[in-house]
Amino acid sequence: MIEDVRGTFKPELIPKESGGNIDDYEDALHVLMKFMGSMSSALEQVSGRGANAIVYQAGKRMGHDAAKMMEKTDNLEQALDEMGEVLGTEFYYEKWKPAGQEGYTIEKGDETVIKLLFMDCVVRQTLRRTGLPQKGPLCYLLYGYMVGAVEEVMSIKGKVDIDHVGPNACLKTLTIKWGGK
Amino acid sequence: MVEILIDEDACVGCGSCVDDCPNDVYKMNEEKWKTEVVNVDDCMACLSCHEICPAQAMTHKNIHVAKRLYIDRRVNHVLERII
Repeated sequence: MIEDVRGTFKPELIPKESGGNIDDYEDALHVLMKFMGSMSSALEQVSGRGANAIVYQAGKRMGHDAAKMMEKTDNLEQALDEMGEVLGTEFYYEKWKPAGQEGYTIEKGDETVIKLLFMDCVVRQTLRRTGLPQKGPLCYLLYGYMVGAVEEVMSIKGKVDIDHVGPNACLKTLTIKWGGK
Repeated sequence: MVEILIDEDACVGCGSCVDDCPNDVYKMNEEKWKTEVVNVDDCMACLSCHEICPAQAMTHKNIHVAKRLYIDRRVNHVLERII
């Protein structure tokens, strides 16, 4: 049964609360997940592999915007800690390394490589909600987001590659190129 | 620290987890022809092995369990009444 909520609205008032209860938010979340999944799948159908580039660009723009207020730094690990706070609990990640490796970062010429383990991810939730495979266009949203945020905070070029995807966590490699402004 | 338990009675020895794990956490025990855990320190708890195991023979303990926002509680509620 859908309840009609009636009240007064004055244009000059900024509402203090969004209203509704937890079930409303859950319903809205599921509808958005279905929209996102449907859009991603349609985009892939129409644009093929070009869909990845479109979504990546959208994510990158979001990453640049999100990181504008963050403190600029040359320290990759510090930048990642700050970005973790911006991405929030919905994209909870940690730096990861195999047990035998000393530090998190590996230097390769003018590049620094670090592995990130994404544990909570709204994109993965959306894909599972809509029965879509991982590593599709929607995953590129998060790649773009990370790259955009790193570029904004460190003012250098970066890229993210996927190593492995799983139902509970995904391992990605972030590579930044020093001097590649 | 992550702990992985293999139910040897359930494991069918298909080796899917050995092939799937990117960090070589598992190895096939060729005497028993069952999976065994050989490199638990490198387990990142992605749980690909859980998804691929046809016998659901694994249990991971002490891991970060990702939020399951995709679960539709209303559907689950209906299923609980049926099952």
